[in-house]
Amino acid sequence: MIVLGLDTSHYTNAVGVVEGDKVLADFTYEAKTDSLEQIVANIESTLQSAGLTLKDVEGIGVGLGPGSWTGIRVGVTVGKILAFSAGKPVAGVPTLEALAYAARNESPLICAVIGAGTGDAVYAALYRPENGAVGRISEYYVGDVKGLTALLTGPAVLAGNGSQAYAGLIKQETGMNIKAVEALPGGASVACLASRRLERGEKDDVLSLTPLYLKESTAKAFVNKYKSNHA
Amino acid sequence: MLVLGIETSCDETSAALVVDGKMILSSIIATQLDLLKKYGGVVPEIAARRHTELIGYVIKEALDTAGKTLDDIEAVAVTSKQGLIGCLLVGVAAAKSISYSKQVPLIGVHHIEGHIFANRLSHPDLPLPHVCLTVSGGHTMLLYVPEDCRYELLGTTLDDAAGEAFDKIAKFLGLDFPGGPVVDKLSRQGNRKAYDFPRPMTRAKTLDFSFSGLKTSVINMFKDRVARNEALPLADIAASFQEAVVDVLVSKTMRAAGERGVTAVSVTGGVSANSRLRHVFAETCKQKKIDVFFPDLSLCTDNAAMIAAAGYARMKLGEVSGLSLNVFPNVPLEG
Repeated sequence: MIVLGLDTSHYTNAVGVVEGDKVLADFTYEAKTDSLEQIVANIESTLQSAGLTLKDVEGIGVGLGPGSWTGIRVGVTVGKILAFSAGKPVAGVPTLEALAYAARNESPLICAVIGAGTGDAVYAALYRPENGAVGRISEYYVGDVKGLTALLTGPAVLAGNGSQAYAGLIKQETGMNIKAVEALPGGASVACLASRRLERGEKDDVLSLTPLYLKESTAKAFVNKYKSNHA
Repeated sequence: MLVLGIETSCDETSAALVVDGKMILSSIIATQLDLLKKYGGVVPEIAARRHTELIGYVIKEALDTAGKTLDDIEAVAVTSKQGLIGCLLVGVAAAKSISYSKQVPLIGVHHIEGHIFANRLSHPDLPLPHVCLTVSGGHTMLLYVPEDCRYELLGTTLDDAAGEAFDKIAKFLGLDFPGGPVVDKLSRQGNRKAYDFPRPMTRAKTLDFSFSGLKTSVINMFKDRVARNEALPLADIAASFQEAVVDVLVSKTMRAAGERGVTAVSVTGGVSANSRLRHVFAETCKQKKIDVFFPDLSLCTDNAAMIAAAGYARMKLGEVSGLSLNVFPNVPLEG
């Protein structure tokens, strides 16, 4: 099954195409402010370099985030509407899972980590490699870097963009030594994980697919806090 | 030509199918009124999230209602200019995905041009040239329209948009959101001559508008009465405030029509749904022997049918966007 994978959560347009576990093309285009402008051109040139067109694609994988809120809206909207429009099945892949997948050969325990934009806040989750993919074995974590130590038991490695710096911060704050692997969510990683899911018949509903924000908007959080304080 | 229109510039997720910029086959609008009431206005991040949830459903509903599929679509028009950036982006991402997969032209439309074309949907024979007053919660503009998609800006607001003033006054008076329809309804029970609020800029030489001073005047009067423990006749206050806004909008538009020598005036945008504005325009234009046109009420507020109509008109002029179409939250209307 030929699957196109997209992830736009990290100020990059990551686009890849795979056939089963075989990577046909995998590119990460820098996209600080022009993710929306470039996304179709990035998809076209990735497919082209694999000698394919959109017609050859049999399924679409989308990185759901967490990450840049605006970024994941571009990726998820393009992924699902492209799937709807071209009549292809779609599978959403949490971006943390794609990061853990990229580091699956590093350790039997992987803590995928993504900066949450404010201070040293991060999104994270713990994964275990299994059957060539990865399975999540913790709840999603949203909090400061130091708090990650509660998740990090045994031989866990940190995987993500900036993970070396996070490991340094943890060492500084708690004295804990953690191995870190730098990784970005790749389009091919997302495509591989989506492909496995689609092969098992686990497609997502093309209309209801939404980003995985893991955090409420500031306004909503404010209103909820106000309500609980005045309950 | 069958055009799919998509509009997500503010708080309505909308999709529509329109033939030749004239005949509406379907027009689906998912409002975020529940969120507006909860937060007392539009919160950009929350609105953008809601658009992302709804966009697929709204497009599918527009297709199903019209009995069409995406294979029948011959072009996609989407609001790409003027609005909340995170909200615009959802519509444009969806539109370019369809344009790319179906290999049909993509046309980015200025939101205000959409409002202007709402009146063409309601009145296909709307004469040219004319003067257009387009007025909503986000803009207040007077335009001279010599031909389709050509605009000369005659005046604009220097501060608040007229609809914004309605919203803010409604909020201040403790009324519901959005303020326009609520003030309109309440005003019918009030005396519009009860208070003589200022008519800002009516004596100015320009055709520009200003509503923040009027708003402050209403608020100060209200506070004074509260301080003196006087009764607060909300209906009278609402009616007098509304009358001041209507007076300014009508008098400036009539002056523009006179200066340009046109015999037709087009009034569009959310505030064009206001019943008092419609009444005063109709009376004044009748006296001056000018024809005045308003869109159907369903086309006054944000909708994708008007975007499809404007996109079709731009396409007829050979103006098509590429797949690298971007969003622009604040740019002038071109033409």
